[in-house]
Amino acid sequence: MNAYRYVLRRLAGLPFLLLGVVTVAFLLSQLSPAEPLASILSERQLSNPEAVAAAKARWGLDRSPVEQYLYYVKNVFEGDLGISFRTKQPVIEDLAARLPATMELVLAALFLGVGSGIVLGVVAARFRDTVVDQLVRLIALFGSSLPVFWSGLAALSIFSVQLGLLPGPGRMNPRAAALDPITGFNTIDAILRGNMASFSDAVTHLILPAAVLGWATTGVISRLVRASMLDVLGQDYILMAKAKGSSGLRILFHHALRNALLPAITVIGYSFAYLLTGAVLTETIFSWPGVGSYAVESARALDYPAIMGVTMLGGAVFVLTNLATDLAYVLVDPRIKLQ
Amino acid sequence: MTIPKNVSGLVASARVAILAAGVAAGLGATASAQGDEQPLIIARNLAVNSLDPARTSCDTCNIYMAAVYDTVVRLGQDNKTVEPGLAERWEVNGDSTVFTFHLNAKAVFADGSPVEAKDVKWSWERLTNLQGGMSWLFEQVKSIETPDSHTVVVTLSQPDSEFLGKVIAPYSGVVNSKVASQHGAKTSKEEAATDTAEPWFLANSAGSGPYVLAAYAPDSELRLKRNDHYWNKQADIGEVVIRQVKDSVAQAQSLMSGAVDIATEVSPDTAKTISAPDVTVQTVPSYQFLYLALSPGAKGNPPLSVPVRQAIGYAIDYKKLIDFTIGGAGQLVPVAIPNGFPGADGLPAPEYNVKKAKELLASAGLKDGFTMEAVFPNENYYGVDMSTLMQFVQQELAKVSIQLQLKPVTFPVWLQTVKGEGTPLTASFYGPDYFGTDQYVRTFAMMPGTRWYTRSGAERVQGMANPKEKELLDKALASPVDQRDKLYHEIAQLMIKDRVIIPLVGPNTVLAYNNKVEGMRYSVVALLPLQELRFKK
Repeated sequence: MNAYRYVLRRLAGLPFLLLGVVTVAFLLSQLSPAEPLASILSERQLSNPEAVAAAKARWGLDRSPVEQYLYYVKNVFEGDLGISFRTKQPVIEDLAARLPATMELVLAALFLGVGSGIVLGVVAARFRDTVVDQLVRLIALFGSSLPVFWSGLAALSIFSVQLGLLPGPGRMNPRAAALDPITGFNTIDAILRGNMASFSDAVTHLILPAAVLGWATTGVISRLVRASMLDVLGQDYILMAKAKGSSGLRILFHHALRNALLPAITVIGYSFAYLLTGAVLTETIFSWPGVGSYAVESARALDYPAIMGVTMLGGAVFVLTNLATDLAYVLVDPRIKLQ
Repeated sequence: MTIPKNVSGLVASARVAILAAGVAAGLGATASAQGDEQPLIIARNLAVNSLDPARTSCDTCNIYMAAVYDTVVRLGQDNKTVEPGLAERWEVNGDSTVFTFHLNAKAVFADGSPVEAKDVKWSWERLTNLQGGMSWLFEQVKSIETPDSHTVVVTLSQPDSEFLGKVIAPYSGVVNSKVASQHGAKTSKEEAATDTAEPWFLANSAGSGPYVLAAYAPDSELRLKRNDHYWNKQADIGEVVIRQVKDSVAQAQSLMSGAVDIATEVSPDTAKTISAPDVTVQTVPSYQFLYLALSPGAKGNPPLSVPVRQAIGYAIDYKKLIDFTIGGAGQLVPVAIPNGFPGADGLPAPEYNVKKAKELLASAGLKDGFTMEAVFPNENYYGVDMSTLMQFVQQELAKVSIQLQLKPVTFPVWLQTVKGEGTPLTASFYGPDYFGTDQYVRTFAMMPGTRWYTRSGAERVQGMANPKEKELLDKALASPVDQRDKLYHEIAQLMIKDRVIIPLVGPNTVLAYNNKVEGMRYSVVALLPLQELRFKK
């Protein structure tokens, strides 16, 4: 099947999936015992029928649940996710302002996590059952099991407070002149503006949260790559390569790794979606103004439009990531065909 | 934690490497981007509900409002004295029902236009009519007259000797009515529902204070810059950035690493871990407190008669609670009026007496105890984790066979619960908006219309109303100061007997800041008066 048609077919299903996500999210919000007006009005206003009626009319809460649902769905497909109860800004603008921060963090975390995971996995397989292998497994174990709220604070304490190597929480130094955004990715914007001081600032602020967030991915990928590598290294074609006199490094990285990576691709794709929707704690600890911290604050304030917006964004991310993963399979293994 | 000496060489090398990378990339970001004047960086959990003066109501809002919107009169550094603000002088009639303010002709808004009487009237009427969280400040106002452009005459519907205190509250700040009206602000009661100015106020300000709003990014930062047209003494620091750092430990770490200059919500426990030589940590008593509230009229008719409420009060070891929740950094609070406020002096400290608690329960026919629900906001107030606090209370009450079913919820759900069917026992907090006791009586006393009279379901329970409290309050508000304080003292004693509100702890405030910052103090109204801060020369 033509890859272009395959992508189009998969993308055509996206609106239906989002409709499902919207429906479930809307039903859950309706089932919640909490009154949305409690997060919009003051206690005094809640006791005033006129203020309550005006707020209901303003926020569309005077309609029946079915009408609210249909109205919301119509608006969503017109690109309007409503106004946040909390920030009083359009949800779509709130998400657009925060998504680049989260994407920058997640891509950096994925880069560090996947890169180190692959290297460690290969090294562990090469030195199977040695001290090196045990050490890699220990790193993987800690990465997978340490909660971010602990590892984040510990990393801040060690690398920022005690050693003074890296800056504390936040995306940029607040004492520095603000960077005029273009893409919202501070590292890219700094390069586009030719402001290398800001680039350095953005990168140094990114290292700690990305490393903390990516550590879990390091653990998963390294274990997976190790297992795949051990499997591949035992196959006949590797024996053939050795017999032909290929060097150890060439066998590892040229012959074995490409085949061993296939199972890891699924995890990489999943990790991206997981990190994007699960960077909540990291963003909170590191005061990173992304979608994760927005989701937390919105949930605490019962900001239903924002919660629905974040839920839909999460749904879209998973669909698009799955699609990207399927396409990556074909690139890595030409034997796989799109259907 | 200290770094072993053999690691220090490695650390130094790493520092050099990172610095070199920065230099290779251009120049060190921090050094290059700083202008001649450094901004002051404050770490804080922003938790801003609005920046619209008529809608705003939060601790960060207090700081913001005090810095951006000057009030007609202001509070002195002793947290008690009333000093001139936009008004250079004022008069009060004999029974405290008519207040006349004479505005300073020099006072101008940030755009250079003069502050006039019409702006004061417009701002206070809008605050009242929009019915935001602080609209109660002017609920006793009958009329506001402006006989000329610099005179404001406020007539109250009943005497209020604490009215000046309410004018001091940052939420009474004066707004440039012309500018705000151009951006959708309305002031009349009829038009309140059509007021659309809030989004504009989230990006702009229209005050006459020492600072103006430069930028606000929710959950990220609030940036203020000095009002260069300020009519009074100019602020020393040109730019103030209040940066979102939610966690107490992360705030302390940011302060120790030099990333911020002030951390405003370091918990007393965390404060003990701060060891950086360039950081000062001061723990000062605050006027804030946390309390238990008992609701005899809540759903299910919990058996919360007076003896049972008294028993609950005796069953709690308050000193241990302060040690357990905030490492001892707090004060005992006898009544729901802060220590040091009018009427609160000389009251007996809360007593811990399990034997007496058991006797009281037995006298109420509840020797074997009972079980009740406790819905509470799962938040952290003034460094006290509410879950920890409630677990402690649960353990204490179990000693007298009262079993609490704890139900932590988000704040909006809690508010809906206490406003609706109620919960037998809950916990909350209160921080003053001005120096005055009236606000506490109107919130906690058992007289119709007060917040906790309604929330406790008192109207559904016979004998809960305490008309004497209302009578004494009316007298107090019409009396000169010395008599007023005695009357407040009587009300305080009645409120203790009501036993609907059981104060638990007055947490100390931790002032944690870099040694280069001067002028740090705790203010009742502004919390942190930004215009008084300066960098050491």
